Amino acid sequence: MAATQSAPSSPTQARGKKPGVVLDPPKFDLESYIQNYQGRTRLERLIHIGFFSGFLGVDALKLAAREAKLGRDTKKYLEAQTLLEQLGPEEREAIRDLSWIDSMDKKNQAETHRLEAELKGYKNNLIKESIRMGNEDLGNHYQAIGDLPKAFEAFSRMRQDVTLGKHVMEISRHLIEVAVEQRNWIAVISNIQKIRSVPLTADEEKAIQPFLWTAEGLAHLDAGEYTLAAIAFLQTEAGMGSSCGSIISSNDVATYGGLCALATMDRNDLQTRVLENSNFRAYLELEPQIRRAIAFFVNSRYTSCLEILEAYRTDYILDIYLQRHIDDIYYLVRSKCIVQYFIPFSFVTLDSMNEAFASPGKTIDKELALMIQRGILNARINTVDRLLEAVPSSPRASLQKEALDMAENYEREARRRILHMNLSMADLEVRGPKRSGMSQAADDFFGNGAVEMRF
Amino acid sequence: MDDLLPKLLSFPPHPPPPNGISDLQYDEGIKTQISTIKNIPDSKLLQQTSGGENVLDIINPALNTVPYAAVLIAHIKAMHTGNKSIDLDTIWEKILGFLGNFDPRQIRYLGSELSHIIDSTVSISRRHNQAATAIPTIRDALLRLDPTGTVLTSKHIVLMKMALESRIYVELVPFLEKSILYIPGTSSQPKPKYLCDMSLPPTAFITPGNNGFSAKIKHQDVLEYLLLNGMVCIGIRNWKKALEYLEMAVTYPAKDNSVSKIMVAAYQKWVLVGLLLTGKPLSLPKITSSGAAKLYHILAKPYESVAQIFEGGSASRLKSEAEAGKNIWHNDCNSGLIFFVLAAYQKFQIRNLAKVYSKISIPEVHNLTMSAETGAKLPNVQACETLVRSMIAEGSLHASLTSFPDQPPVLAFSVHGPVLTEKQMQMELATSTIRIKALTQEIKNTDHMLTHEKEYIKYAQKQKKNTKSMQDQGIAVTDMEWNGVEDEDLMGVF
Repeated sequence: MAATQSAPSSPTQARGKKPGVVLDPPKFDLESYIQNYQGRTRLERLIHIGFFSGFLGVDALKLAAREAKLGRDTKKYLEAQTLLEQLGPEEREAIRDLSWIDSMDKKNQAETHRLEAELKGYKNNLIKESIRMGNEDLGNHYQAIGDLPKAFEAFSRMRQDVTLGKHVMEISRHLIEVAVEQRNWIAVISNIQKIRSVPLTADEEKAIQPFLWTAEGLAHLDAGEYTLAAIAFLQTEAGMGSSCGSIISSNDVATYGGLCALATMDRNDLQTRVLENSNFRAYLELEPQIRRAIAFFVNSRYTSCLEILEAYRTDYILDIYLQRHIDDIYYLVRSKCIVQYFIPFSFVTLDSMNEAFASPGKTIDKELALMIQRGILNARINTVDRLLEAVPSSPRASLQKEALDMAENYEREARRRILHMNLSMADLEVRGPKRSGMSQAADDFFGNGAVEMRF
Repeated sequence: MDDLLPKLLSFPPHPPPPNGISDLQYDEGIKTQISTIKNIPDSKLLQQTSGGENVLDIINPALNTVPYAAVLIAHIKAMHTGNKSIDLDTIWEKILGFLGNFDPRQIRYLGSELSHIIDSTVSISRRHNQAATAIPTIRDALLRLDPTGTVLTSKHIVLMKMALESRIYVELVPFLEKSILYIPGTSSQPKPKYLCDMSLPPTAFITPGNNGFSAKIKHQDVLEYLLLNGMVCIGIRNWKKALEYLEMAVTYPAKDNSVSKIMVAAYQKWVLVGLLLTGKPLSLPKITSSGAAKLYHILAKPYESVAQIFEGGSASRLKSEAEAGKNIWHNDCNSGLIFFVLAAYQKFQIRNLAKVYSKISIPEVHNLTMSAETGAKLPNVQACETLVRSMIAEGSLHASLTSFPDQPPVLAFSVHGPVLTEKQMQMELATSTIRIKALTQEIKNTDHMLTHEKEYIKYAQKQKKNTKSMQDQGIAVTDMEWNGVEDEDLMGVF
């Protein structure tokens, strides 16, 4: 997995190319897309789309600027507004509302002071519950104005005054939300573990379960652990609704889970763990194209499967989490398709491979060569007759070779060990001078006395 | 002289008695003979017979090794003192004849004499440039004395040095096949009852104290021998053997985080030879001392970076790396190996093509591979074809080249490399079995020697005492058979 991570995602794509602005219109509707989310992630997503989409950019930024003014985070507002100023200067929202920024900054400052003073008061009174709530308020406030490190700190401080198991859950939930926005996945995972270790009632468990699995899935996805990410998303129970809207939507669960599974699981697993998974089916129905792609793959219609994915590439580039990984995931799916396509044949003409997998006017020769080199595809290319040939296996020859190699290794190792024992018996080991480390180093330095390296 | 002859030839009895003689009789007989001969002054041994013949022409060295050796040594000594009557050519011939024919049983009693004769051979051959004849003779003499070739003596080292000085390597091949396992004087071995016992392991009759054949061996000697062996193997381009010998030097037991300079030199060569053999940097064997391993990585850094570039880098990078380290290679006497490494780069690339392609045309091979000697592609397609042809001819590339009129020649790789026929395979397996069986015997020998080791005996005694005292105190000992466990552990090492 790690190897495919660091390598360029596909030889047909430019090496190390940054995902740039996409001009194609995405297949989703901006309004309904953003309806799925709550809280600060809305702003983040809108700005992301504004930055990367040539088609929706201005609309998204307009929404973002309006959205930001409803909140209290002046920095985010500035970010959205500056971008919009560059992309659509004629829009009404492109004009910087300095008075709003000013008054909001002042308000925020006053609020910070107020909350901190309150907290101090609680602390003097030594009432645990109040201190905890004071910290929570402060955390919420910092989060709202976009000071995430301070928010994380404030929420962490709540832990000192925990009295109930439910509190632990609340604290960790706050921390996960902040950490997800900070992309601090280690904190996310550790807080998930903390919630899991708290005994919960069945109802609470059911309510928090999707949140935990999706957060864990995101963490793995970001680390490039697509197998683990797929497993996490697939365990998310149905009926998440909008309960996790602050980090992820139900549609995202289907997309992320489906793509990760498609990239890492084999045909049987895809069938039993994804398509026949009643929990996950509910999510898949929200994103039918993912279900179709997986079904096509399971039914060996690789070209159709890849076509669907390709059609949705724009959508996935506009997703804040998928963008960095979409090329890797597509590459994995693609190479899996090629491998699967080739399995039943003893040889295939390169032309038919091109027809099935290469975009018009391009060839996949180099890609195949790379796949063979990396050991993904067990085949050989015949450039003269333009064939991809399967490697004939000859178990007898390889077994015989193995046996001889093993015997040879045994001999060599045995001889070496016998010599070693006899050398030790004869007291012939190489020995360093018997002195303490310090003085020896000094001696070496000044060149007097025996040097450690002896002839 | 004529009156001396019967004395000289008194042993072994001729013709041999019908039932043979026991080891005891043999031992006594040969010892008396040796002491008798020692009492004869050299001047008498130099006398000619009444018929005017040289004694060396009368005595058969294969039958009467003891008197022959004595007379020969007398002659050599006389020659050194400037006796004009002794002709160098005749003596040289006699020495060679003796070394090629002595009786391996009698010679066991003549350690210092044999040592003396070999030393003279070496000095004469050095002075008169006779290495080409001396090397095979000494080699055979050493193998006659110890057919297993498993005991290291100081003569081995001398022989290797001679070979490297004179650049005669091929003659040593039968020697290189044997591998050193024992060092003479390893421990306080029990003295064998009769040296002439033919079932004795070679360690029992080649000892520094007993008959003075080998000088006392130090760790530097062992290391030097291994390194020299490795260099001889490099000389005959036997990378596999070279790697094995160098590896033995690299994994030489070292304590206290120390390392010998010879080990470092061996490591440098080991890295390069490993490249020539496998095309990628090898990892150190597990048995390497950890302190030494750390020092290797520091002291042989340039070599390791060459290895890394060889595996993953481009031809031009390899070339510039080799040039940047020119002085290093030169000072370590590894320039030659570096040239080999550069030349091997393209060959490995071509061989690696077999992992991706089944058939490929020569112009494509030309385009896909680069020479590290020039850091660029070969000048033309023909050069590439020649290279491929030479690789196929020397057996390093398992492929076939077909040319068609009006089309570029096509290289077809065979997928599994050389496939052995059933017969060849059976032979390989059989020889391998024989070798492993022989090794098992060596393992038993070593085990036996370990149990006679002083410290082990002390330990065993202590254990016995402990068990006894425990028994006295009424503690059950049935499940505490330490000795049994210890024995298993010793075997478990293998």
